[in-house]
Amino acid sequence: MAFRRIVRRVHLSGAVKKGEIVATTPVLETSKLNGIFEACREIGQDPEFAVAKRWLEEHPGKKAIGCFPVHCPVELIHASGMLPLGIIGAGTQIEVTYADSRFQSFVCSIVKTTLELGLTNRLKFLEGMLFHSICDPARNLSSVFQRNFPDMFVEYIHFPQNFASPLARLYLETEYRRILTGLQQRSGYVPTADDLNRSIGLYNRIRAGLREIYRIRADTPHVISAAESFVLTRAGTLMAPEAFVEILEEVLAELPGRPSRPKDRIRVVLEGSFCELPPVGLIETLEQAGCYILDDDFLRGWRWFTEDVPIQDNPLHELAESYSERAYYSGTKHDSRETKAAHLIRMFKEKKADAVVMQAAKFCEPALFDYALYRKALDEAKIPHLLLEFEEKTWIFDRARSEAETFVESLLFD
Amino acid sequence: MAQATAKSDYQGRIHNLQKDMIGRYYANLTAAAEGKGKKAIYMLISGNPVELIEAFDMLPVYPEVNALQLAVKKQSLPLILAAEEMGYSTDNCAYVKADVGMYFAGRKTPFATIPQPDLLLCNYVGCNVYLQWFEHLAEYSKAPIYNLDVPFFRTPGPEPLEEDVTYVVKQLEELIEVLERMSGKKLDYKKLQRIMELSGETGELWSNIKRLTRERPAPFDAYFDSVMMMAPLYCLRGTEDGLRFFQEAYKEMKQRADNHEGPLPEEKFRVVMEGPPPWPFLRQFRDMFSRWGAVAIASTYSTVGGIWEFGFRHDPQRPLESIARHMLQWNVTNRNFIQRYKQLKDYVDEWGADALVIHSVKSCRLFSAGQGDMREYFTKQLKVPTLLIESDLEDPRYFSEAQLRNRVDAFFESLEHQRHLVHK
Amino acid sequence: MIYGGGVDVGSTQTKAIILSEDRKIIARCLINTGANVSMAAERAFREAVTSAGIAPESVAYVVGTGYGRYKVNFGNAQITEISCHARGANLLFPKTRTVIDMGGQDAKGIRVGEDGDVKDFVMNDKCAAGTGRFLSNAAETVGLSLDQIGPISLGAKKPVRLSTVCAVFVESDIMSYLAEGKTVPDILGGVHNAIAARTVALVRRVGIDPEVTFTGGVSLNIGMVKALEEKLGQPVNVCDDSHYIGAIGAAIFAVERALGGATADSGKAEPVHVKVPASPLPIIGAQ
Repeated sequence: MAFRRIVRRVHLSGAVKKGEIVATTPVLETSKLNGIFEACREIGQDPEFAVAKRWLEEHPGKKAIGCFPVHCPVELIHASGMLPLGIIGAGTQIEVTYADSRFQSFVCSIVKTTLELGLTNRLKFLEGMLFHSICDPARNLSSVFQRNFPDMFVEYIHFPQNFASPLARLYLETEYRRILTGLQQRSGYVPTADDLNRSIGLYNRIRAGLREIYRIRADTPHVISAAESFVLTRAGTLMAPEAFVEILEEVLAELPGRPSRPKDRIRVVLEGSFCELPPVGLIETLEQAGCYILDDDFLRGWRWFTEDVPIQDNPLHELAESYSERAYYSGTKHDSRETKAAHLIRMFKEKKADAVVMQAAKFCEPALFDYALYRKALDEAKIPHLLLEFEEKTWIFDRARSEAETFVESLLFD
Repeated sequence: MAQATAKSDYQGRIHNLQKDMIGRYYANLTAAAEGKGKKAIYMLISGNPVELIEAFDMLPVYPEVNALQLAVKKQSLPLILAAEEMGYSTDNCAYVKADVGMYFAGRKTPFATIPQPDLLLCNYVGCNVYLQWFEHLAEYSKAPIYNLDVPFFRTPGPEPLEEDVTYVVKQLEELIEVLERMSGKKLDYKKLQRIMELSGETGELWSNIKRLTRERPAPFDAYFDSVMMMAPLYCLRGTEDGLRFFQEAYKEMKQRADNHEGPLPEEKFRVVMEGPPPWPFLRQFRDMFSRWGAVAIASTYSTVGGIWEFGFRHDPQRPLESIARHMLQWNVTNRNFIQRYKQLKDYVDEWGADALVIHSVKSCRLFSAGQGDMREYFTKQLKVPTLLIESDLEDPRYFSEAQLRNRVDAFFESLEHQRHLVHK
Repeated sequence: MIYGGGVDVGSTQTKAIILSEDRKIIARCLINTGANVSMAAERAFREAVTSAGIAPESVAYVVGTGYGRYKVNFGNAQITEISCHARGANLLFPKTRTVIDMGGQDAKGIRVGEDGDVKDFVMNDKCAAGTGRFLSNAAETVGLSLDQIGPISLGAKKPVRLSTVCAVFVESDIMSYLAEGKTVPDILGGVHNAIAARTVALVRRVGIDPEVTFTGGVSLNIGMVKALEEKLGQPVNVCDDSHYIGAIGAAIFAVERALGGATADSGKAEPVHVKVPASPLPIIGAQ
């Protein structure tokens, strides 16, 4: 099976410890899943991108493009014959020594650790990076990349912010065309509409699989934890989609048989972590403190669409249209057609949650702005909520645990 | 042959003229707030279609200008604190917090009562916080909002992409329809052209004023004096008053240049200033530089509403297109770092500067996030002495006078020493 | 013989140096600054002059430096401690090209030219990360004194990673590690490493060229010296006079100006014979 191949390769490259590989007999079904999640976790914490590099070695002549949060039209990269990779900070794995001199202390960690990856030559294997309009530091980061890595293909996608107007979607289509032209110049391959549709089809499968994972979490949160679904999703952004779709479908096949017992926990929906990735330990801490996280916005950019992108004659049109019409809510989209908190309250009601957790990265300007509106709306709707700020580089979660436990207690003991 | 002039803000007729004109502008705001005035259109400073607003005889309202006035009058802190109590973070832009605080405190300020918006025209020009700001105001005021989406100048240039220009022009056409519905009248095209002429001439004058600081000594401080002269450029652009102000300002500055008069007794250092000023502490901040004889000969913050000194003019023959280009290309906030570095470099080279001073502000990440890279580029590659200092533009809690003074002193001490070595 | 005086008024300590015209250190004094800054400056200077065994009038010029430099009322000039540290380091270690200064409350990186002039500098004075305050909080948390933690940190086998560089929050991180059973040397090793990493990242902004001279009160901490050397991958210069370097630099400026007949910043003309004010305070032993 594909995953065992991946795992063995990862093992060979040293990113996975020996002895963690799966068994195959039905009696050990649960440890197979645990093995998969462990391997995914290791992949997510590898600052050397061993899995991706391995794929490039096995496909000589192929190139990789890094995608900075939040959303990236990965199909454009894939159809051009290149590997899209989520370059989303460096977690706890590297020390920031050079990037600190470029970005100040009041800037979020992901901007600095991503730059540090570049300044320590860890991104040399990439052909380029794609950025887009999420916030001012990220936008400035794209310029800093351009200046410091002149050989890299660095592009910035302007996603429209004017959804009340039909002009927005048309504009996005031309913008996608422009990006595609740049990409194909680098890859040397000009994709046809069929190529694009094939890529859309593949990523549709992945997104459908992830939607199913999230549905299982919302219905039976004791079967798969938020931390597990997070590391799975994250690993998917660091490998070829052809390999990931198989792992995903294997996980979905194993989940129904997984023995588990519901615990006495409060049910929460989580928002605010759409860009900088929280440490896995923080998510686990939240869960251990007594929360079932039924829905979240971790890596939402990679799960952007609420349903399949239609396969039609004009794939760029379908992608542009789907960006605005078939998408999960994201604060960075600035869709003024409904109030900020509307989607959050909807999510809360649909999942029959008890509370909302705002988990925002420190110094994350857009998330902290959104919080002011969320707080007001949640207070008015009498929905309990908690604000937690995090940063990538955290190893001790005691403080977060206390805050979460206090919150849980306040709800349970009501 | 420097003649002694006052060390403080520019004096003279234009100071009083501005007080008078802006006073009338604010009186209009108060009238609108009391229901007796024009329709209030909220807009942002950086590259905006104020000419269209004027053509419909509506009133442009600038939350940024209101926020900075509050800071200058040292009234921003209680408003910021009120906003933080509401849930805004210490890490959110203090302009927004002061404005939100002011909104919920009844919109009364010492200079005017700010009217409720009839339209929130969010000209998204570079600054992502703009989008958040107006979203929030829309939810609080329930006023209609139009996001005028101006694509970021993300290509090498020298011109923006044709599709970007087309996109913005089409949105301006949509905006015209919105304004027509609001006013019940069709756009008077001739009137718009006349307004564009006024803007064009005003821009020409502003450009000429800015070029005067190429003289030695510079006749005024292109940071401290320029940011004080800017208000009519935003609040009165496209009006006869606005034009008259800049005609007078040019006359006065030209006269000073002809008399070899500068703002200081002796101009010892010529610097380029990058970044917004610390509005609550303008005088103290200025003193830190004055005592070293340092005069700003160019600044980027004075181009935040538009860059005219490199040839751009509003064109009455192509009104929508030139407004679109103004927003896309001819202001500092919609530009990427590479272009911003070039702008600074052009100032250093063409105006003749000894050093670059980067004032990094916590609130404004558009300006500040990544200024370390700017410093790196200027010191290591261009070998321009560069000083990087930090405080805030609106929130008085982040200004540490002793620390700032220390850094400024150390910097000019070493510049003085270098000069001394060269002259040995 | 002409003498120059340098007085470095810091937030916690005030140091005074008397330098002869041939750049020899004749006297030193170090006292706590306390609440009255100008009195501390006067006292430090007076005690240095006394222990030098010279007449106060023979100190031709006095330069005040440090945060309290404008409170050195009897001084002829005020020069920032950045310029003074560069000069002072250059006297003690002429091959200095980078100065790393870690004081009680701030940290600095200075790039220095051949004759001790400042080429570039960077300061961290917005928070206590990378300063002595961080170390003293950590010391208190593990129940040790400041001069104990350095040597003990050298015994670390597996230094811990600290998730914060906030001098206040480091305490709770340390307590968590103690609860987990980590050893004190390992914890202290982690503390020193975290500060070294932070400081090196700061100084990189101006570039790190050998030789590196480490100044300020924290440079007397052997654990910090070793941690810095590890992070930098090169040795650093330290000496017993490390925390006098600012005052030494100030005194060098004073001697230069006295010899050059330079005018003082405050508008006084020629080298002034400094009148040492009589003090009502009792004199507590000078260093």
